[in-house]
Amino acid sequence: MMIQLAADGPQSPLLPVWPEIVIGLICIGVVYLAFHKKLLPAINKALDERREAIEGGMEKAEAVQAEARQTLEEYRAQLDDARRDASRLRQEAQEQGATLIAEMREEGQRQREEIIAAGHAQISAERQQAAEALRQDVGKIAIDLAGRLVGESLEDHARQSRTIDRFLDDLEEKAEAGR
Amino acid sequence: MNSDQTLAFETDCHLFQDCGYPAPSLWSFQFEPIFSIGGFEFNKPALLAILGSLLVVGFFWAAFGKAKVVPGKLQMVAEVLYDFVRTGIGRAVIGKQAESFVPLLVTLFFTVWMFNLWAVVPVAQLPASSIIAYPIALALVVWVTYMTVTFKTNGFVGGIRNLCVPGGLPKPIYVIVTPIELLSNVFLRPFTLAVRLFANMFAGHVLILVFLIGAWYMLGTVVGTFFAFGSLFMTLVITVFELFIQALQAYVFTILTATYISGALEEPH
Amino acid sequence: MSAAFETLAAVNGNIGTIGYGIGVIGAGIGVGYIFGNGVQAIARQPEAAGLIRQNMLLGAALVEALALIGFVTPFIFS
Repeated sequence: MMIQLAADGPQSPLLPVWPEIVIGLICIGVVYLAFHKKLLPAINKALDERREAIEGGMEKAEAVQAEARQTLEEYRAQLDDARRDASRLRQEAQEQGATLIAEMREEGQRQREEIIAAGHAQISAERQQAAEALRQDVGKIAIDLAGRLVGESLEDHARQSRTIDRFLDDLEEKAEAGR
Repeated sequence: MNSDQTLAFETDCHLFQDCGYPAPSLWSFQFEPIFSIGGFEFNKPALLAILGSLLVVGFFWAAFGKAKVVPGKLQMVAEVLYDFVRTGIGRAVIGKQAESFVPLLVTLFFTVWMFNLWAVVPVAQLPASSIIAYPIALALVVWVTYMTVTFKTNGFVGGIRNLCVPGGLPKPIYVIVTPIELLSNVFLRPFTLAVRLFANMFAGHVLILVFLIGAWYMLGTVVGTFFAFGSLFMTLVITVFELFIQALQAYVFTILTATYISGALEEPH
Repeated sequence: MSAAFETLAAVNGNIGTIGYGIGVIGAGIGVGYIFGNGVQAIARQPEAAGLIRQNMLLGAALVEALALIGFVTPFIFS
């Protein structure tokens, strides 16, 4: 049961039917217009946006990294500064301390010397005073002793020494009473 | 159009019935018109061609209509296909000037592929490009494009030179080469472009028919059924092979178009 | 008797089939060369595989066109 027996024979497959060519051209035209006007611009836009987004993200990441690096450097610089400051301060403090100690020592020396000098001066003054007072006292006492000795009649030696002893005791009593 | 009408061979004939193998003939490419306008009969290949182009537009409309920066699955697939044509064919063959021809290349690639792909779609099972009119329409578009580009870039005289005179040959040879080049560039190019696509799809369809009709023909007796399954298996193998050929022909068609366009864009020597 | 001798070597079918068989030899050799040398070229220089494959397919398409013209010629002259 051949179906298309109505025709005289099959048409040559190499002979085109021109309305079919027109249909083919219309099909291609429709597809081309759809691609050219709408679809490819849309997808190209999306692809560009994606590329921009990716590149933008990378730029952002790079920026963040650069910032981090800069911050780190700043921090390091600050740390260095701080360290330098600290060492400088320590050195200054040491120097100051040394000078202070030296000054103090000098001051102490000076004060000690002053005190010593003052002491010496006082001592010498007191000694002088004492010598002065002693000289007067010795003279007076000698005169007193001589008077007593003369008055007692210097007969015997025992008496003499007794008198001297008594005199010295008196002197001691006097000195104790005077203290 | 019921399925009985699409079978252009003797369906009652089986092995050992003295009626011979009903080999596929040109009747396999003749169709009852669905309807006719004037003298023109609108038949199945025309329907497939229109449906095919609408499918291509529909697919890419669904994928690229609302193109997003973060693509969905459909858009991802379509992007891979699009990128294949754009960079794999356009950029690779034409180079920097490819961008303005990309829509044409994309159109040709997917239209040809869809036309070819009808061969393995159930119910349709006929490549629209096995009817010579559609390859001719495609080749016509290519011919008009590269001729226009030739004369646009080189001017009239330069365009003729571009078509007839290849550079870098000793002078006496031009006597032979010029007519051959003219013939080849102006007439043979569109002819081979159309016939290659047509003949590949035609032969592929016949090949599938040979094994499929063979399977049907040998059905009936026990031995025959055994061979019928062998034939059916061969049909599947050939179908897979055809899938490859279909994509390859679309690729070849597009890459040849790109080659012709890049030849037309060449500056005169 | 003589009629039987006359039909001793009769062949049924279309002579175009044989013509196509002969015509395809050249195209077969050509496609074989192209793909053989293409594979060799890719093996030697895998980094140029894309370009080689593209040109390989181009050449194969051109050669194949000849075989296909042979395939359609019987329809032209039938």
